[in-house]
Amino acid sequence: MTQLPYKSQAVAKPYFMAAIALFVGQILFGLILGLQYVIGDFLFPAIPFNVARMVHTNLLIVWLLFGFMGAAYYLVPEETETELHSPLLAHVLFWVFLIAGVLTVVGYLAVPYATLAQMTGNDLLETMGREFLEQPLPTKVGIVVVALAFLYNIGMTILKGRKTAITMILLIGLIGLAVLFLFAFYNPSNLVKDKYFWWWVVHLWVEGVWELIMAAILGFVLLKVTGVDREVIEKWLYVIVTLALVTGIIGTGHHYYWIGAPAYWQWWGGIFSALEPLPFFAMTVFCFNMVNRRRRQHPNKAATLWALGTGVMAFLGAGVWGFLHTLAPINYYTHGSQITAAHGHLAFYGAYVMVVLTIISYAMPMLRGREVNPERAQVLEMWSFWLMTVSMVFITLFLTAAGILQVWLQRIIPNPQPFIEVQNQLVLFYWLRWLSGVVFLIGLVVYIYSFFAKDKPQTVEAGEVQPAMT
Amino acid sequence: MPISPEPSPTEDHSPPGQGLAIAAESLYLINLLLLPGLAFLLLLGLYGRYRRSAPPLGRLHLQQTLSASLWAGGLLVIVNLLIIALGGYDAASTWVIAILYFTTVHATLVLLGILGLARSLAGQTFRYPLVGNLLS
Repeated sequence: MTQLPYKSQAVAKPYFMAAIALFVGQILFGLILGLQYVIGDFLFPAIPFNVARMVHTNLLIVWLLFGFMGAAYYLVPEETETELHSPLLAHVLFWVFLIAGVLTVVGYLAVPYATLAQMTGNDLLETMGREFLEQPLPTKVGIVVVALAFLYNIGMTILKGRKTAITMILLIGLIGLAVLFLFAFYNPSNLVKDKYFWWWVVHLWVEGVWELIMAAILGFVLLKVTGVDREVIEKWLYVIVTLALVTGIIGTGHHYYWIGAPAYWQWWGGIFSALEPLPFFAMTVFCFNMVNRRRRQHPNKAATLWALGTGVMAFLGAGVWGFLHTLAPINYYTHGSQITAAHGHLAFYGAYVMVVLTIISYAMPMLRGREVNPERAQVLEMWSFWLMTVSMVFITLFLTAAGILQVWLQRIIPNPQPFIEVQNQLVLFYWLRWLSGVVFLIGLVVYIYSFFAKDKPQTVEAGEVQPAMT
Repeated sequence: MPISPEPSPTEDHSPPGQGLAIAAESLYLINLLLLPGLAFLLLLGLYGRYRRSAPPLGRLHLQQTLSASLWAGGLLVIVNLLIIALGGYDAASTWVIAILYFTTVHATLVLLGILGLARSLAGQTFRYPLVGNLLS
């Protein structure tokens, strides 16, 4: 049985398990939503569209946070060469976060949203009702408490141990994540100001500090599976982090077009967000360059595949599909259309889902007491990689096609059609998107099954000579 | 399963022609992303100057990137013009097909360039699938 380098790394295991369980919930609600696009009253009034959407997006955020925390608990002890400051605190935080998350989802499903707001003290500090930040006040406070205690635990571990670029970048990313979430509590009555600062959470998370977390996790996994010198990986990380922050922070401006913010944001947002594919471009070159220069053939082929896939899919989803509609003159037409949904799906999958699955793929075998998974389990995992990745590409292509047609019919032709009439004409694409979603779910089932797969015992042909046991 | 050590191809010094290989791959990507046409002319110039004298690594990357660039021109410019000419400028289907086609083909060509650049940075050869065999 393979021993973990540091005993306290074991706390990452429940985080990864919870992440995968919530991932399944997210995909099930995605499929419900997909059907509601084509069968409008599907599961109505039990699960209205707005509730299903809220659960779908909130579960995504929560399971990715579980994944990031699990990743930090796994890689920080190994990088700092010391045990975690408090494994007990990590366990307690896990249960607090899981119970808060589950209760919030149950609240969304069991109680009308307005009643939930009333029940949870939203009138004390009005923070609810905004996309992605729908959580009741106690949940938001809980997130802050968990984040602070988590940062304390990780920070103390880093302080007492070896400092590396990977842990520093990870820590900066995690601090940024916690600090920027505080803007979820700022909800001015002026709608322009509301949107302006809302993006400080949403955009500066996914196109800012989360990229740092992603780079640190990728750097760690590539360091382990390729054996390339740490200095080489660190230099790449510095370049990626610089590009991410330089382009991503001012790139927030691409959300400020025509919302009431000053017009100069059309230039600033356009120029800097046009440069936002650069860190993802660098990340892809980084991943492939490290694998090409590897000094060892690591037996965990699945983890290497996930790492390479992260680079490629993040570049496509966040880089290419982001650039597609980021310039102000184009966004004037495409804003809030299915093109945005296409970008959102591929970017989240390529950048953050895949990087969490990368670290799970690398760490989980060791957390289960072996260096790597059996061959058959790895083959199944690689099948799940292709099933989920290819189906997500098709989801993106069908949504993009729907978006182009939507923009054309609703915003370009001389007599633009009303929203709902246009939606009726997109049904074919929505069905195709839903079928791709079913394939994605099959991929996820294969992924989960791979955790339980064992190598088949070798069969011996009659008459075959067996080597003598020594 | 044991972890087997493998020597790094760039451990001591760069293989001959690596600089040229990196330049070729970079120009291929710049042609697709930043300066279409101008970067292609520079790549053409590099090819004309070094195609006989370059070490094998540099020559292969030059050949591959020039071939892929020629294909890219055809796939991105000519096919798109054909889609618009045949489908009509005022048809929704034309734009659905043209934008999807351009985005996927362009992104694929860029990804191939990234693979080529990563290989050249590691001092290794790279053959572009399908679009790399025009000059070999």
